[in-house]
Amino acid sequence: MSDARDLEADVGEVLLSEDEIQARVTELGRQVSADYAGRQLTLVSVLKGSLPFMADLMRAITVPVRIDLMEVSSYGGAATESSGLVRILKDLSASIQGDDVLIVEDIIDTGLTLNYLLRYLRGKNPASLRICTLLDKPARRLVDIPVDYTGFTIPDQFVVGYGLDYGELYRNLRFVGVLRPEVYAEPA
Amino acid sequence: MTDPTTGEQRTGAVAGPAAPASDDHTDAPPRPPFAHASEAEMARILDFYEVAWEYEPRTFPILWNLAGDVVESFSPDFYLPDLGLYLEMTTLRQRLVRKKNRKLRRLRELYPDLRVKLFYARDFRALMLKYGKLALVDALSGTPGQVMPDREPEPAAGPTPAAPSTRRSVSRRTTPAPASEARR
Repeated sequence: MSDARDLEADVGEVLLSEDEIQARVTELGRQVSADYAGRQLTLVSVLKGSLPFMADLMRAITVPVRIDLMEVSSYGGAATESSGLVRILKDLSASIQGDDVLIVEDIIDTGLTLNYLLRYLRGKNPASLRICTLLDKPARRLVDIPVDYTGFTIPDQFVVGYGLDYGELYRNLRFVGVLRPEVYAEPA
Repeated sequence: MTDPTTGEQRTGAVAGPAAPASDDHTDAPPRPPFAHASEAEMARILDFYEVAWEYEPRTFPILWNLAGDVVESFSPDFYLPDLGLYLEMTTLRQRLVRKKNRKLRRLRELYPDLRVKLFYARDFRALMLKYGKLALVDALSGTPGQVMPDREPEPAAGPTPAAPSTRRSVSRRTTPAPASEARR
């Protein structure tokens, strides 16, 4: 894989343009601000994919916000082989006890990771715990999780961009697109 | 090995038991003899995300003859007790999937309160793509595969429940641990 590779050329179809994303994120920010009016909100972003969404969403929210970041291991990598269990690679940096917490996710598909995170965060005794996701792919759902804020419901396709990666690339695309199948047919 | 109720070849080699690596992964019984390696992989995924599962815990009769004998039944591969969900994996060819779809429709007619998700080959492929294990798919999906040597044929019919379940519970660990790999 060349550094000079044109990553946009690997995208077969632009699913959500930059303008569409920005308009929807602004709308979500307005909605969240109205729902949490008069309160302070703690946004918990789940690394790495949700970074761009978090950055845009927090600036679209008008109530006072604290932010925190979490990172959990994914099935399939080195940590899977060594432990066989999901791991928290980066925990919250401050207590969320008594806080109104909004989890900020890039995408929900099976719901397995989020199910784990919800259990974990509930154990920290927040006053409330809700979920905001940019993308929802319900066709893949295994765990039914009530999602409070959804940017877009998308079809069952492998998407990259706006934080979402394949082989750690494509996160910096400003849109969300469907990766050409021949790209992932090659070794990442 | 052929599933007598569907005529499907229960195929593929199990990738091997994954012994729990940590002490807090408690009460872990030996791995059941999965019918297909994709089921073993799914069990590892469920374990990873600490979702409790049971392997083929129940057999549901779906067709009876005039004498009242059960002539066709359905045994979903997994039951996820915390989620109240049955999960049926199929990585088989489309012709065989149609049979399974028919059985699933019948199951839903007879047991409308049952929550069952059929996990198709494309679902498994998408999951493996997400986890960077796409290479595994070609080795598992829709292939003639091997017969599992230690697996008995499923009963063609039986009462509900008919088969003993293989239960596997996982601990609810909340202690963060260091690792070197991140989710997407």
